[in-house]
Amino acid sequence: MEIEVLAEKLSKALNNVSRIATSKVSLPVLNNVLIKVKEKQVSLITTNLDMAIIDFLPVSSSKDGVITVPAKLLAEFISTLPKEAKTKISTKDNKVSIKADKYSSVINGTPADDFPELPEIDEKKAVIFKMSTEEFKKGMEQVIIASSNDFNRPALTGVHFYTNNKILYTVATDGYRVAKKKLIKNVQSEIKVTIPAGTIQEVLRSINDEMEEIEISFNEDLVRFRLGEIEIVSKLIDAEYPNIDNFIPKDQDIELEADREELLRITKLASLFARHGANDVITCETKTPKTFSIHSIANEFGENDSTIETKVGKDGKISITSKYLLDALNVMEGEEIIIGFSESVDKVTNMAVPMILKNKGSDDYIHILMPVSV
Amino acid sequence: MYNVWENALAEIEQKISAGNFSTWFQDTSLLSAEDGHVVIGVKNSFFIKQLQSKFLDVIKAALINNGVEVKDINFEIQAKVKSKVRPREVVAPTQIGQKLPSIKHLKGTKNFTSGLNSKYTLDNFVVGSNNDLAVAAAKSIINKPGTSYNPFFLYGGSGLGKTHLVQAIGNEILKNHPDYKVLYTPISDFYADFVDSVMKGKGKEFSNKFRSLDVLIIDDFQLIVNKEKSQEEFFNIFNNLHQSNKQIIVTSDRLPSEIKTVDERMANRLTWAGAFDLQLPKFEDKCAILRSKANLTGAEIEDEAIEYIAENVNTNIRDLESELSTILLMSDVRGLTPLELINNGSINVVHEPKLRPTTPKRIVDKVAKSFNLTTSELKSKSRVAHIKNARQVAMYLLSEELHLSTPKIALEVGVKDHSTVIHGIRKIKNDLKLNFTLRDQIAEIKGKIYD
Repeated sequence: MEIEVLAEKLSKALNNVSRIATSKVSLPVLNNVLIKVKEKQVSLITTNLDMAIIDFLPVSSSKDGVITVPAKLLAEFISTLPKEAKTKISTKDNKVSIKADKYSSVINGTPADDFPELPEIDEKKAVIFKMSTEEFKKGMEQVIIASSNDFNRPALTGVHFYTNNKILYTVATDGYRVAKKKLIKNVQSEIKVTIPAGTIQEVLRSINDEMEEIEISFNEDLVRFRLGEIEIVSKLIDAEYPNIDNFIPKDQDIELEADREELLRITKLASLFARHGANDVITCETKTPKTFSIHSIANEFGENDSTIETKVGKDGKISITSKYLLDALNVMEGEEIIIGFSESVDKVTNMAVPMILKNKGSDDYIHILMPVSV
Repeated sequence: MYNVWENALAEIEQKISAGNFSTWFQDTSLLSAEDGHVVIGVKNSFFIKQLQSKFLDVIKAALINNGVEVKDINFEIQAKVKSKVRPREVVAPTQIGQKLPSIKHLKGTKNFTSGLNSKYTLDNFVVGSNNDLAVAAAKSIINKPGTSYNPFFLYGGSGLGKTHLVQAIGNEILKNHPDYKVLYTPISDFYADFVDSVMKGKGKEFSNKFRSLDVLIIDDFQLIVNKEKSQEEFFNIFNNLHQSNKQIIVTSDRLPSEIKTVDERMANRLTWAGAFDLQLPKFEDKCAILRSKANLTGAEIEDEAIEYIAENVNTNIRDLESELSTILLMSDVRGLTPLELINNGSINVVHEPKLRPTTPKRIVDKVAKSFNLTTSELKSKSRVAHIKNARQVAMYLLSEELHLSTPKIALEVGVKDHSTVIHGIRKIKNDLKLNFTLRDQIAEIKGKIYD
């Protein structure tokens, strides 16, 4: 095997793939990146057995062959080289020699036999969506914050994608909050799958400004993201996802509008005093005709009370976790936010009605926060 | 079906590398094998691909060798995913025996108190790799007291369940043989009783009481006193019971040969039938113990919380249980789940055994380092506040951790007078009440001293 490429390009590709090369003791080859050259096409591949990242690297010249090399070591070596150095990687038996200008080194590689074969998307059966990477990135960043890391409930550790009335939605929840986003309107196929949040994170990390379009293909148990020269293949989470629409409250008798920056400011202020108390609880309160305030107490430090002037129609109070409100406000894009809540109890579930946040003038994104009882 | 797959796996394991086996076959199962259509359950599609492309022949051969007809092999992803992020599998507590009916069965020994606490049963004794041998022996004793393991000598550090286990043996024997006379007594009580009866001139009665026992359980044998007469009495009772094949059970925190006050004759006899030790539970066992205790109280606690406690308590089971109950209590009072408490930092569990004894020099060095001083600076006569403060912390730690006398401490930190030391220690003790930074710093130094 032999490739010749600019250090800068190779370094970028290696950085893309080497993140998931894990130090799995039982199968050391998973530390490695597989470098495969076949008919002028060079691919760099790593996998952690939940997902795989493949980078198709354009090179100036190449010779066929395969080898695996410790990913992190190679990535660090290449990234230290001067950017415009012309780098040549060639193998002799299992020795991988790297030469760039006056720098050269030999890394012990391992044969590719043990490197797992990757599952592939069956294009015929696949459901494929395409969208702008910018939209995708924004949507995912807004949703992924609500995903859980509690592996006792595997479904919630993922981001759920589902279609309803020709709209592709994506949603995540950890049981305390829900984030839901309309991703694509007017889609033809139907899906209902859950992608591990970790995979989404890797996809987000791989996105750079040059990539305009992302292609997402689903099989029954596999998803593939294609963006630029990168392909990410991942398992799906095989667990029933709860029906989120049940959580979305219908009767909200208190509603108000507020400037997002201002809201963010008073929430931050309140959270300073909520940090040490039980559960970071802050209390939001409306007072007719024009007051929305957030209140928090930390016994040992003092208390905080901040107010926004805005039109409110009814007095009410709700306690929520400050961090969750901050998270939500941070990812929302609208200048004005609509907050809705209610003091009443849901008649069906007999639970307190959660708080709901929206961007003013758009129903594309909603964020729901469960109230805390104090 | 399950067994067939186990056997097949055992065969596959021989044929491929350990790394490959543990990676690819760990979470597999045989779902069905009807009419030669074999379906194997795997974790995700990555596994399907790999098993199909590299290990199909091995699997097929192994299945055929185990008498399974194989026409084709298919793979299916199992819903029951074992998430790979959870570090280790938590073993469910193994429980043995049946629940003890209340104290009723003690009839027949009405005017005889066994000294046993009926809350200790084998039922609520969590068995793990740290104690399974001892438990196996215990079970055989319960079935046939006085035969196989006699005397049964059980040793292990404090808080590892010695008392629980021997009391459970007593309780179970009583359940099987309500007419048996079982006596549980810590060795200290044995002496108190003995001295008492001798003083009252009832020495004969005392020895008769013991000689008529069917099962004698002596706890905390390491506390045996070096009184010739008492040891001799115990020795006689021991011999007497042993000769008439009555069960004797003895616990201690170390082997008899390591107890200075025990003479060799006695030590030999105690370990005739072997000595069983209870060890510190492994991570999985600790999780199982916590889980079982939590279930007993009916409290809810997340697996992560359990794993957190298990990981951070490395001393003994008693500490483990006390941490658990603290956390459960706190979670009750504050209305947060245990995991939330841990995550928000309200709870900080660390119980590490003080394995390596420390030295005065080490303490002084570490204190100096923590205050960015050299050891000689710390020991100097300087009255600079910062150095003085460091010196006083060193005095405090020397006294707290090593219980050195004040003149010795004075020598270690280079001051002349032991009253300076007394003053220094008192000052730090006072400061600790108010000064959180100092508290943290001292905690950190302590950590380093034993590191």
